[in-house]
Amino acid sequence: MNLERLPNEEKLSLCRKYYLVPLAVSGFAFLPFLWLVNVVWFFREAFLKPSYTEQLQIKAYVKRSALGLLLWVAVLTTWITIYQHFRAEWGEVGDYLSFTIPLGIP
Amino acid sequence: CLRALNGQPPAAPTPRVVEREEEEEDEELTLKYGAKHVIMLFVPVTLCMVVVVATIKSVSFYTQNDGQRLIYTPFPEDTDTVGQRALNSILNATIMITVIIVMTLVLVMLYKYRCYKVIQGWLFLSSLLLLFFFSYIYLKEVFKTYNLAMDYITLAIIIWNFGVVGMMCIHWKGPLRLQQAYLIMISALMALVFIKYLPEWTAWLILAVISVYDLLAVLCPKGPLRILVETAQERNEPIFPALIYSSTMVWLVNMADTDRPNRNSTEAASPQQEPQEVASPVPSSPSQDDGGFTQSWVSQQEHRLGPLQSTEETRREIQQMPSARPPVEEDDEERGVKLGLGDFIFYSMLVGKASATASGDWNTTLACFVAILIGLCLTLLLLAIFKKALPALPISIFFGLVFYFATDNLVRPFMDKLALHQFYI
Repeated sequence: MNLERLPNEEKLSLCRKYYLVPLAVSGFAFLPFLWLVNVVWFFREAFLKPSYTEQLQIKAYVKRSALGLLLWVAVLTTWITIYQHFRAEWGEVGDYLSFTIPLGIP
Repeated sequence: CLRALNGQPPAAPTPRVVEREEEEEDEELTLKYGAKHVIMLFVPVTLCMVVVVATIKSVSFYTQNDGQRLIYTPFPEDTDTVGQRALNSILNATIMITVIIVMTLVLVMLYKYRCYKVIQGWLFLSSLLLLFFFSYIYLKEVFKTYNLAMDYITLAIIIWNFGVVGMMCIHWKGPLRLQQAYLIMISALMALVFIKYLPEWTAWLILAVISVYDLLAVLCPKGPLRILVETAQERNEPIFPALIYSSTMVWLVNMADTDRPNRNSTEAASPQQEPQEVASPVPSSPSQDDGGFTQSWVSQQEHRLGPLQSTEETRREIQQMPSARPPVEEDDEERGVKLGLGDFIFYSMLVGKASATASGDWNTTLACFVAILIGLCLTLLLLAIFKKALPALPISIFFGLVFYFATDNLVRPFMDKLALHQFYI
């Protein structure tokens, strides 16, 4: 999908949809990837192009997506660090959570 | 002489010299576009093959013989005698091909009788299964190979994100690069499944037979794929966009066979689907589905791992941007080439199988890779000349098979002998 060819209103609507879908599904939709796509895709549109009417709203959506993305990245990084560090010590709970268990002795 | 890019015939009264010049220019333009298209397709095909070969080399899961087979290839290949093995593989291949032919016919019937909803639903389910289930298995095997720990929570989030964004990109709107990347990834996943679950001789036989089938289905007047293309052209609809990889987004919709292109440059904005340039123009196609293999998917869903399936249908159509269009207001980048996802899958499957089972190892793999690319070039050249939908499989697969068997059986022992005797040429 080539953004240049879309009229501005459609760009706005697309950006908005990419922002809202993760929020819509179950309120906190666990879709940071979609927000990432939104930010990367609309970054040029929002910040590097000469302004046009809908640009302000697009900027708002991109900023909010970026915020949501950062929040998710923080949460995930914390969880992953905790998991990797304490996995062996948690015993049974650790194994239960594990999808693949590395073999051998660390 | 090539009519080439201008849809209009050269004006009659012009002096011969000018005419000839125009024709030459036209030819040049055609070839130039042809060359560009070739390069545009090299990259994704190469990427897909690289992913498949890298996975085969590193993750042993895909080359292990677990004794599992697809329900479509019930005859085992580890039999006592060579004759028995040959017979079994022929039977397996026959079953597969029959299934594929049946699926293709069903698809063409559905399309002809306008049961678009059925087709869309089918493809949607297929891509769903592929994006979630297969990537789950793939990730599991990769983590096992690299001995990493992963918890269910993080995994669920990863797979969920990958799958949802994939569905959005393929079936709805998304950035072009991401969509192309997803199509490459699902083709690679599918090819890996084929490599794992098809026994050796069956696989090679299937490749050969499918190429022949492809040739017949697309070129014969009564071939199902040709009927599909023609029906789509009559109705001015794009042919299953999502099953086809397109190198650019085309915003101009054009009709190849009718005289004046209807350019919908701005209205093309609305079709959400990729207005790919298809020989039959058109705006929104009813279904954006993804790789052809998905169709096959569905059938397999009920069965175990269903892989396989004919991706035949739509796949295989290479449609070049209608060159009947005058090059006028569009930029060159608008034109792209489309290649069916099934083609990606079978190319990758050939190269993957070669790297998995060849005794010549990298020599054979590289030889097959080069062979496929050469075949692709030739096919695109033919496309530039004939300007209608062409089967992409036959030439490449033929070269690939020839190179594989030749390299494996002739070149490698030759090189080994040379190295043994320290004789450098």
